[in-house]
Amino acid sequence: MSLLLPPGPISRLIARRLIFAVLSLFVVATIVFWAIEWLPGDAAQRILGRDATPEALEALRVRLHLYDPALTRYLHWLAGLPRGDFGMSLAAERPVLPYVGVFLANTLLLAAAALAVHIPLSIGLGLVSAASKRDGGVDTLVSVTVLLGMSIPEFVVGIGLVAWLSTAWNWFPPLALIDQAQSAGQFALLLTLPVLTLNFVMTAYVVRQTRTSMIETMQSDFVRSATLRGLPRSRVLLRHALPSAIGPAINAIALNAGWLIGGIVVVEAVFNYPGLGRLLVESISNHDVPMVQGAAIALSGAYIAVNLIADIVTILVNPKLRTTLQ
Amino acid sequence: MVASRGFSASRREVLLGAAALGGAAALGGAAILGSPGSALASDVKTLRVATGETDGVKGTLDPAYGNNDNDAARASLVYERLVVPDEAFAPQPQLALSWKPDATGQVWTFALRPDVKFQDGTPFTAKDVVYTFQRLIDPKTASAAAAILGQIDPNGIRAVDDHTVEFTLHAPVVEFPLLIANRFTYIVRAGQTSEELRTAGIGTGPFKVEKFVPGEEPTIFLRNEHYWQPGKPHVDRVELRAIAEPSSRIAALLANQVDIVTELPALGLQRLESSPDVKVQSARTSFWHGLAAFTDTPPFDDVRVRKALKLVVNREQYLKAIVGDRGSVAYDTPVPPWQTYGLPEAPFKPDIAAAKKLLAEAGHPNGIDIDLYTSAADVGLIQIATLFKAQAAVADIRVNIIQAPAADYWSNIWLKKPFVATGWNARSADEALSLEFLSTAAWNETHWHNKEFDELVFEARKTLDESKRTELYRKAQRVIQDDGGALILIYADTVGATRANVHGYKVHPQKITHDFSDVSIQT
Repeated sequence: MSLLLPPGPISRLIARRLIFAVLSLFVVATIVFWAIEWLPGDAAQRILGRDATPEALEALRVRLHLYDPALTRYLHWLAGLPRGDFGMSLAAERPVLPYVGVFLANTLLLAAAALAVHIPLSIGLGLVSAASKRDGGVDTLVSVTVLLGMSIPEFVVGIGLVAWLSTAWNWFPPLALIDQAQSAGQFALLLTLPVLTLNFVMTAYVVRQTRTSMIETMQSDFVRSATLRGLPRSRVLLRHALPSAIGPAINAIALNAGWLIGGIVVVEAVFNYPGLGRLLVESISNHDVPMVQGAAIALSGAYIAVNLIADIVTILVNPKLRTTLQ
Repeated sequence: MVASRGFSASRREVLLGAAALGGAAALGGAAILGSPGSALASDVKTLRVATGETDGVKGTLDPAYGNNDNDAARASLVYERLVVPDEAFAPQPQLALSWKPDATGQVWTFALRPDVKFQDGTPFTAKDVVYTFQRLIDPKTASAAAAILGQIDPNGIRAVDDHTVEFTLHAPVVEFPLLIANRFTYIVRAGQTSEELRTAGIGTGPFKVEKFVPGEEPTIFLRNEHYWQPGKPHVDRVELRAIAEPSSRIAALLANQVDIVTELPALGLQRLESSPDVKVQSARTSFWHGLAAFTDTPPFDDVRVRKALKLVVNREQYLKAIVGDRGSVAYDTPVPPWQTYGLPEAPFKPDIAAAKKLLAEAGHPNGIDIDLYTSAADVGLIQIATLFKAQAAVADIRVNIIQAPAADYWSNIWLKKPFVATGWNARSADEALSLEFLSTAAWNETHWHNKEFDELVFEARKTLDESKRTELYRKAQRVIQDDGGALILIYADTVGATRANVHGYKVHPQKITHDFSDVSIQT
């Protein structure tokens, strides 16, 4: 696959965005640090919980340097960054980076699987409803289904799918429990329900966009002339109309990809999936400042990266934008 | 048109590329994650266990710091104790074969089981026992065990020979064998540091840890080839994970994603009980639910107010609402009637009129207004508070419920606010009485300082005569009933379940105790 990237505008965009990304991540990490400092209680109490005796609390606070002033700890954390050292988790007493790596990989895997289904599914549905009889049975069915998905929160969808497809029918496992003894096939089964849940929520917008812009394009002169030349309907749709109509759909998919990074956190919780969202929630309740910073940076970084890719794709498929950039 | 065709092609390629990329990433990832599975031979028997309470990155394999269900399960796979409590909380031998006190009950000698090896092949001897207990008591270790083992003289733990250990205590403790059968006293190999124990502890238990990274699930254990019980364990591998949400835990068991689940809620088990693929089991425990009031803070500093609170509650209703009758009613003592030293007498009945009269005598003719703190930190805390509010209203006790965040409850509300919903894990009689009610108790949640009670407990600990000792412990409990600030309302059963083809697993009254050595899976 040879992609001929026009070098100028795209690389300028990437450079600008990268500088902006580094700055945003720094701000995120700083806000997170002081926000958790400001919460009542401390990590030692959270880690020891009910069993905390004064002696144990004291020993743990000394070991975790919790008696150092907050500013000192913040500066210490900053000083490690150039070395790629994101500090030590307070609860795990191990470096933060490997944790963030493992959990980020799991989250990205789920996101990629969801998108891999999302792109063909939503554009396909959009085409079907655009090509079918306006406001006929198929069109209405697709519209109603996707609007339902749009309006029901993802945790309800997730629980509903579990109740229906795994508890009642036993087709899929209810929880996405990853372990070492799984074959790829089993793993794909595990991911099915979380991926379906995410898609149920994401699809609506893209389908609407595809349908609207397809219908508009179908009424334009060049499509009409193609039809009049007697080309088969499917060829008119796919070879003539779709390429011009695809822009808005791509935009919608790009927006969804951004939403996905947030929505996935909820879905991870429903399916017990070991992703960044779970790490983040758990670390906040532990007051584990370095771990929360690491997880927040990874999540924000993923969000920024996804948006950047989406923008690049949008520019590539949209001749108008490409010329304004030049 | 001709010129733009090139673009439309590249546009489509971009689209196809994006989709293909996503798909490839998903499949590639699945392959990477799934690939170790192919390394497992098909005849490897794996037992999959799911506990409640997520420990996440806090998780540990070091018995000195375990503080939740998942830690407890991990420890019971890898380590063993000198003594284990049985169904009735009587001490039974595990790594110790026998024990005897001297005439005063102050020096205890334990004969150790010979021919036991650690998972790395080193023989288990008295020095491992000495190392284990000295480490637990050492203030530098800062283990919560120090609060329970305070009776042991740190310089009085001695290896008499390879298979004999002697403990010298500060004062006589007749129940000493039970005292060292708690969640912390698992024997570790001499010389292992806390850092090593946390993820790679070596014990004498049926399984050795293969891979444990705190926060990553599951923890993997393999059969211990050196295990001292012939023919055990019956499975090759154990996978342990936490599934915090009870409904998810149940769903995972029904879908055959796990073989054993522990810590099930007592309510909402209909689906499990009606499924032929699942066996539900329960065991009565001394785990209690209730409320705790500071006895040094108004209005609870007046014993008449405390008595009124105890007379107002209808305990049967708590039993129904909180544990669906899986348990029994309690009457303000942490020792259930069936446990050693439990009180035999008939329970008292709720008496609203008497409660009102007591409140009036205490100077509250129009009743009282009190704040009650609760939280979703543990099962039942919120229901207890809600039910108490409704029951107390009848006697003009106006309760204002304040719900605290779950993560904050045990560290910032409990022991710090004068009236809270609470509960205590299953313990032996002396341990429960001392940890919660002695003036010097580490967790004195009622701020109660009662000389008479303290003396009765100390006296009981050194009374060798069984019937006299029983009478002293019972007297001590009556003092708590009359004067204490705790409303101990119900004892809850512990509920667990297994797949129907799992044999040899039993839930234990000391909830943190599991024995996986005899578990087998029928195929």
